[in-house]
Amino acid sequence: MLDKQSRGALLDPLVDDNPIAKQVLGICSALAVTTLLQPSLVMCLAVTAVLVASNVSISLIRQWIPSSIRIIVQLTIISSLVILTDQVLKAYAYGVSRQLSVFVGLIITNCILMGRAEAFAMQNGPKASFFDAIGNGAGYSLILLIVAALREFFGAGSLFGVRILPLAADGGWYVPNGLMVLSPAAFFLIGGIVWAVRTWKPAQVEIERVVHIEELPHDTSHRDGADRRAA
Amino acid sequence: MQLLRNLFDRIEPLVQPGGKYEKLYPLYEGIESFCFTPPERTRSGPHVRDVLDLKRMMVLVVFALIPCILMAMFNTGYQIHRVVEAGGTTLDTWQSTVYGLTGLPLATSSWVGNFVHGALYFVPVYLVTMTAGGICEVIFSLVRGHAINEGFLVTGTLIPLILPPAIPYWQVVLGTAFGVVIGKEIFGGTGMNFLNPALTARAFLFFAYPAQISGEVWVAATPADGQSGATWLASFAEGSGHLAGFTWTDAFLGLIPGSMGETSVLAVLLGAALLLLTRVGAWQTMAGVLAGTLATAALLNTVGSDTNAMMSLPPHWHLVLGGWAFGTVFMATDPVSSAFTSTGKLWYGVGIGVLSRSSS
Amino acid sequence: MAESRRDTPLYTIGFAALVCIVCALPIAWAAVSLRPRQELNARIDRLEKVLGVAGFMEPGESLTAEQVEARFAEAIVPRAIDLSTGAAVDTIDVATYDQRKAMKDPALSVPAPENAARVVSLPRVAVVYEVRRGDSLQAIVLPIQGYGLWSTMYGYIALAGDARTVNGITFYEHGETAGLGGEIENPRWQAKWVGRRALDDTGAVQLQVIKGAAGPPADDPYRVDGLSGATITGRGVTSTLDFWLGANAFGPYLARVRAGGN
Repeated sequence: MLDKQSRGALLDPLVDDNPIAKQVLGICSALAVTTLLQPSLVMCLAVTAVLVASNVSISLIRQWIPSSIRIIVQLTIISSLVILTDQVLKAYAYGVSRQLSVFVGLIITNCILMGRAEAFAMQNGPKASFFDAIGNGAGYSLILLIVAALREFFGAGSLFGVRILPLAADGGWYVPNGLMVLSPAAFFLIGGIVWAVRTWKPAQVEIERVVHIEELPHDTSHRDGADRRAA
Repeated sequence: MQLLRNLFDRIEPLVQPGGKYEKLYPLYEGIESFCFTPPERTRSGPHVRDVLDLKRMMVLVVFALIPCILMAMFNTGYQIHRVVEAGGTTLDTWQSTVYGLTGLPLATSSWVGNFVHGALYFVPVYLVTMTAGGICEVIFSLVRGHAINEGFLVTGTLIPLILPPAIPYWQVVLGTAFGVVIGKEIFGGTGMNFLNPALTARAFLFFAYPAQISGEVWVAATPADGQSGATWLASFAEGSGHLAGFTWTDAFLGLIPGSMGETSVLAVLLGAALLLLTRVGAWQTMAGVLAGTLATAALLNTVGSDTNAMMSLPPHWHLVLGGWAFGTVFMATDPVSSAFTSTGKLWYGVGIGVLSRSSS
Repeated sequence: MAESRRDTPLYTIGFAALVCIVCALPIAWAAVSLRPRQELNARIDRLEKVLGVAGFMEPGESLTAEQVEARFAEAIVPRAIDLSTGAAVDTIDVATYDQRKAMKDPALSVPAPENAARVVSLPRVAVVYEVRRGDSLQAIVLPIQGYGLWSTMYGYIALAGDARTVNGITFYEHGETAGLGGEIENPRWQAKWVGRRALDDTGAVQLQVIKGAAGPPADDPYRVDGLSGATITGRGVTSTLDFWLGANAFGPYLARVRAGGN
């Protein structure tokens, strides 16, 4: 069985600390690629693969990275992995890579990658970083696939390209909802998911609270949290 | 009246906290305060005007909409009959069947005929909107335990007026539910929303079902030559100086195709007069929109364009087309989503005027 | 941890160089070793589109790369032609020639005359695909592109051997509004083009996308149904045809085909 740290790193990002629903990271690709399930699934796999590889490799060399250039080093590693992924997709999944077009390349700008590298892999060993990457990749994928399933189902009447609702244009009864095909639909759906999760787990609601000066901690241990939010 | 009061007094203990049906209090409160002036009134905020509470203010807006409602019914029938007189046919709907049974003529000259035929299209859409929106409102009120939002009286009347006559009812249900939930309830209900729920509903339908919100739904009849309503604007660009078959007076009176209730500037002006007299609608917003529109339209008209028909339209035409007047009087002045101070309202209006013209 | 050593400039520069080298190696390897596969994919993709518009492949049909190559080789001959004269040229290898890239290369293209399809430059040499049976020309497939409402639409049009009648049309890349202008990629709409006449007897381009519905091809040969809610996209398609089948682009070639001199 997994030790407690790895378990937490693996399971927390699914719901309690979901990268999209809680941390609101990686939204751009969630808007852009989720019109259909198949490209979304490929996107999820690509992001998870890059995340695992970058988290583990950054964690492995974290002791040797000079702090002054650590962000650039992380970025170099992540972008190399993204280029590699893009090349592999172009060679082995040409159709999907055309559908995803620039969004594979834009994985580089996916805040989850830099966020996990800086917030987790730089402080933890490769094993924990591996599970953290799997967990965050799964959390990201969970939301993406829910959004994509809803958008494809209501926007095209199909799932994974398989017709579920017969279209009115083909003699059936379903009139596809054009809004679902447009990016704002992903905003509404993600908003709805955040709403649902926070109704289910009220602890996720950020409560604005007046902090009195004397309540502030006197040591500097709160800085980790601040760094992490900045990432 | 006393009988009604007694009935309410009898029910009240049941729905008070601790009573048998306490969850249903919002429903009770909604009906009770609709019939009687409630003991508490808004005393601060945007609606601080003598004894006028929000609910009564909303009722005034609904009154102001009555000319538009009547015109909606008349013009919907008039447009059908106009197309039929030009050689077109009515749609294959139950409305056509029912109208046939009344024995009224398919002629624009028959005022009663126009009115009845239009009502057959307008009234069901209105009822569907009210039912769908009302159900959403009641569900949210019961779950959240707050009073039913009286704003829906207005929203529910606005929605059918800005929809095309032959729109399918399931689209009305979806649009209304989206407008009420996403446009209002999600932000916490009346007063918290920054979107106008009626416009949200219309925008939803426009983006969700673009192919259905064009063509013959705008006139509930099939023209003889297969041409749809959008073409008449293009004829302006070809230098005819007027819109195919319609004069400026037609457009002012509202005898042109369009959303059911927003074609008639005359009807809107009657409503505007009531809103301004009772000071429910802000004259600053309306004046701002007017100024912004005229300035932008004049500018665009001076520049001119061969490809964009809207740009060659003289300024006075802008005021009678595309629901401009309706939007200015009933949408822009929405007290919740518009600016708060008098100067703010003026500039808010100017912004609406400029943007609505530059984007069209 | 040796904080001091990690922060010396020399160590930092050395570390950065090492990271760059380590990262560059797999990328270089992937770029080189995967390129043949990627180029094959792009080529098969193009062949499938040509096969589709020429009617040799059903929409939704799935073939292996070999089958596509075989079917293409059997039915279709790609030919490079000089756009200004319409004559065949043999200085260019049609298998590797990238026409879209050539259009952006000043050495390989000429500025296009002003046109409603908003085509900026014309390639000197264009690739056309000819379908031959024995000696007779059965059909030709021409690449077309033009501006719709939001975007440049890329596609192919197939004409019958008379160089007038439309055998098919397809658009494979565009950014038009989904559900409105985006319907140009709908096979049902594309099917409405089959049998219409693109050019009249004088060789002038006549076919246009109208608003509303057109009659059957036999009675209403020069008009195609518009897409509802997509007037400007339809207008863009009309201008695209007007330009590419006209005198400035494939006109001379089509004239040669009609004269039987090709």
